[in-house]
Amino acid sequence: MSRINKNVILALLTLTSSAFLLFQLYYYKHYLSAKNGAGLSKSKGSRIGFDSIQWRAVKKFIMLTSSQNVPVFLIDPLLLELINKNLEQVKNTSHGSTSGCNFFCVPRDFTAFALQYHLWKNEEGWFQIAENMGFQCLKIESKDPRLDGIDSLSGTEIPLHYICKLATHAIHLVVFHERSGNYLWHGHLRLKGHIDRKFIPFRKLQFGRYAGAFDRPELQQITVDGLEVLIPKDPAHFLEEVPHSRFIECRYKEARAFFQQYLDDNTVEAVAFRKRAKELLQLAARTLKKLGVRFWLSSGTCLGWYRQCSIIPYSKDVDLGIFIQDYKSNIISAFQDAGLPLKHKFGKVEDSLELSFQGKDDIKLDIFFFYEETDHMWNGGTQAKTGKKFKYLFPKFTLCWTEFVDMKVHVPCETIEYIEANYGKTWRTPVKTWDWKRSPPNVQPNGIWPVSEWDEVIQLY
Amino acid sequence: MDDWKPSPVKPFGARKKRSWYLTWKYKLTNQRALRRFCQTGAVLFLLVTVIVNIKLILDTRRAISEANEDPEPEQDYDEALGRLEPPRHRGSGPRRVLDVEVYSSRSKVYVAVDGTTVLEDEAREQGRGIHVIVLNQATGHVMAKRVFDTYSPHEDEAMVLFLNMVAPGRVLICTVKDEGSFHLKDTAKALLRSLGSQAGPALGWRDTWAFVGRKGGPVLGEKHSKSPALSSWGDPVLLKTDVPLSSAEEAECHWADTELNRRRRRFCSKVEGYGSVCSCKDPTPIEFSPDPLPDNKVLNVPVAVIAGNRPNYLYRMLRSLLSAQGVSPQMITVFIDGYYEEPMDVVALFGLRGIQHTPISIKNARVSQHYKASLTATFNLFPEAKFAVVLEEDLDIAVDFFSFLSQSIHLLEEDDSLYCISAWNDQGYEHTAEDPALLYRVETMPGLGWVLRKSLYKEELEPKWPTPEKLWDWDMWMRMPEQRRGRECIIPDVSRSYHFGIVGLNMNGYFHEAYFKKHKFNTVPGVQLRNVDSLKKEAYEVEVHRLLSEAEVLDHSKNPCEDSFLPDTEGHTYVAFIRMEKDDDFTTWTQLAKCLHIWDLDVRGNHRGLWRLFRKKNHFLVVGVPASPYSVKKPPSITPIFLEPPPKEEGAPGAAEQT
Repeated sequence: MSRINKNVILALLTLTSSAFLLFQLYYYKHYLSAKNGAGLSKSKGSRIGFDSIQWRAVKKFIMLTSSQNVPVFLIDPLLLELINKNLEQVKNTSHGSTSGCNFFCVPRDFTAFALQYHLWKNEEGWFQIAENMGFQCLKIESKDPRLDGIDSLSGTEIPLHYICKLATHAIHLVVFHERSGNYLWHGHLRLKGHIDRKFIPFRKLQFGRYAGAFDRPELQQITVDGLEVLIPKDPAHFLEEVPHSRFIECRYKEARAFFQQYLDDNTVEAVAFRKRAKELLQLAARTLKKLGVRFWLSSGTCLGWYRQCSIIPYSKDVDLGIFIQDYKSNIISAFQDAGLPLKHKFGKVEDSLELSFQGKDDIKLDIFFFYEETDHMWNGGTQAKTGKKFKYLFPKFTLCWTEFVDMKVHVPCETIEYIEANYGKTWRTPVKTWDWKRSPPNVQPNGIWPVSEWDEVIQLY
Repeated sequence: MDDWKPSPVKPFGARKKRSWYLTWKYKLTNQRALRRFCQTGAVLFLLVTVIVNIKLILDTRRAISEANEDPEPEQDYDEALGRLEPPRHRGSGPRRVLDVEVYSSRSKVYVAVDGTTVLEDEAREQGRGIHVIVLNQATGHVMAKRVFDTYSPHEDEAMVLFLNMVAPGRVLICTVKDEGSFHLKDTAKALLRSLGSQAGPALGWRDTWAFVGRKGGPVLGEKHSKSPALSSWGDPVLLKTDVPLSSAEEAECHWADTELNRRRRRFCSKVEGYGSVCSCKDPTPIEFSPDPLPDNKVLNVPVAVIAGNRPNYLYRMLRSLLSAQGVSPQMITVFIDGYYEEPMDVVALFGLRGIQHTPISIKNARVSQHYKASLTATFNLFPEAKFAVVLEEDLDIAVDFFSFLSQSIHLLEEDDSLYCISAWNDQGYEHTAEDPALLYRVETMPGLGWVLRKSLYKEELEPKWPTPEKLWDWDMWMRMPEQRRGRECIIPDVSRSYHFGIVGLNMNGYFHEAYFKKHKFNTVPGVQLRNVDSLKKEAYEVEVHRLLSEAEVLDHSKNPCEDSFLPDTEGHTYVAFIRMEKDDDFTTWTQLAKCLHIWDLDVRGNHRGLWRLFRKKNHFLVVGVPASPYSVKKPPSITPIFLEPPPKEEGAPGAAEQT
């Protein structure tokens, strides 16, 4: 009997405790949903969820940066996306009445912030203080790319990334540097020998796989989950930039070697041409930006950038490429409004379109439209006299940012393939006579325009 | 036992199905095992519940405690300051000994420490005098290397100054090359005596002398050889001695452990000869925090400091720059021409950004290439900047330097006919400058602390900057009409910079004494500039015409070089007319400048044939007739003054340095 009683008691105990456990499970589920479901949870407890490690790390980090006047803003794509979706709600929630941790408690490995380096007044000592607050910090430095273009300067290294870890959560602080051309640049996160590769899962970082370039964002202050943070005023625009932000530096060292071999042309005419070409390129870039049309440096202009980091003085024109799907019907009128009359128009939108505008002082702006096939890209050419069509084939490429004559512009990321398709393996040797119908190795005859279409596809002004 | 029926273990929740299965299975096999199993399971289950409960309680407590202690990070921060750096390694280690060799002779000196030559000078016609080397008593590192040409006047004063600055305990090494006694005066000899030297105070004409001693401590070795006759030198002497090293502990000061003092410690353990900055008891500050400027228009203008290997100059320069009101240190970049360590150390002491530049080309062209690289880099580093302030390492910066620029910089934006704003008035000497609130427009570019417009640099100057093979002075090039294209610079009457450099590419003591020493330098803070907008192109013409109309015409029969040429009044405006046949005829002006003891090596400070300066506290205008358009103001009765240039014989000093 006593044994049975004992068993009954045991069973009872088990029952109560399991009931209790069930209750806890329910409670935990509730708690987890408060953490995950941003904007969805209707939790009542005001401090619910605020003990998540992510939130705590971000809070500490924001305390640190505001007390040390470190100018940072939030760039974490995951969080910006969430905030962007609920922007109105976030703005309307006043500081005191936060209901649940909807954003910063979202489970994730990192939170990415940007540091505006040029606004940072007292760099010294910051690191130490972060570490003393419990962060484990890693600083990644490199030489300053802004000095690379100048012969023979060697400066103090600049910080590119800080990674500060608090328990299991890491803050990735991406250092944004100002560059000529009104944009912000961040460096490639390169792990040098002494760095602990297991410090954090570096591969999962959102920034730093490549160097990146961004338009300088306007910022706004908002209160998210009880924390005051700066975010880009237009989070959607910033988020659009992120996947296409890859930046490649001009090859300054190779350019110097090139000039040692071939000497730079510093005659008055060359200086004047470069100045005019630069102005034309800037004008074209402004015009296309207004239209929202992507473009990249093509042909000779691209070669000038890649080979010598400057405009080839005897190239006589500025060449740009545009994907045909980005074509807008008002391109021609926009250029004409900018003071660049149409010089000729070959082809049509469906086939081999090419536009040419007349700049000041006999300098021409050529725009080639690129058509995409399954395994290659091509642009077309037309011989005005005969109506013959040509096709220039390129391997597929994507676009990267670079800096050229004080501007942020696109170039094909796979530059070498692009240039070799266009100029062959001997592109390193300057060639002054170039026949666009015969010289390029990637040219193919592409039939002839029917005479009935000539009026449309061959327009000369 | 028999009535035991295994209760369906409901609470197992997720495991329910499995338990039913188990129950059924065990029923068929072994009831005892089943009971055991159930009991263990229940106990485990209870344990888990307890643990989860405890965790929950802990979590809640933590959340509550966190909510209650918001100022926590501040506490952390205070603690942080307390333990910023772990206590330094205090072990003294085995005491080491340095083996020092010092050689002194007529044509060669050298010093070797532990077999490493730290000084070797056998160049002809160079390095005469007393060479001094300072070693760190703990590490044996060379902290300073100087040569004082005590054959020439005043060099012994510099030596006394230097030796007094060296911290006690340092190892001093002295050696004479050629001659070091001719202008070695009593003060210097007394100092050498106080160092314990026997031969130093008695150093005679063309004696050789080598000395090793500890500052304030014992002499560690000395050798001396008297010159037998006026026409010959003492025998070469070679001193070999052992210098015991002391512990790092003794060699360092015990400053409070702050970020600033860490910089100071790093600096002071490496170099010597910077005076009280390394003083243990009362070190001079290295952070100045001058008053901010209200409405500072130049807060975000980058400042490029162009430097070479004159670290003591750089130190003095940066001190004055960082003390100027409205300075923003993070905008300053120091560009060092060459891989010199000591200037970099000075830059690091003040926590500034330093950039080294591999020298290209030689002499003037090297300076010119350094300027180009520095300016390009400045605009690359600060792409948003519309201007850059360009300074050199041998300038003192006035306390109101940035205030002066802040008040005038809008002119550069609004007036295309301007080339630069400069802090330096070429003709602003003690006796020719008076009014710190007054500005001029001049056709020459003075340099020496000036503001460059980015568009001017990027669009005009940079593309055609002289290439390395052209041995041109960058400033001379900038002054050429092709570059200046008729544009003018704004300058103050009283300079906001002071050129103190005595050693330099085109500079020597005589030249400095004659042309730079008596330059007026503003020391008044917060001067409100007068009528800044009247400096714009058209407004300035109105202003000049007004001045000329008011001006009293001087007595042209008197000698303009005489002091009595101007009456003994104060606050009047006078005008004199000199002969100037063409725009480039400066014959009379040059003679006048010479006798007024102002800059006469080339023409500076003119505006359309008009010069403005002060004499005896009166504004003094000089108009070149008939070339100047202001000649119309000349009364018909007045004959312009003509001064004959002296016959050509006194070879004027070469190209004037104004870098």
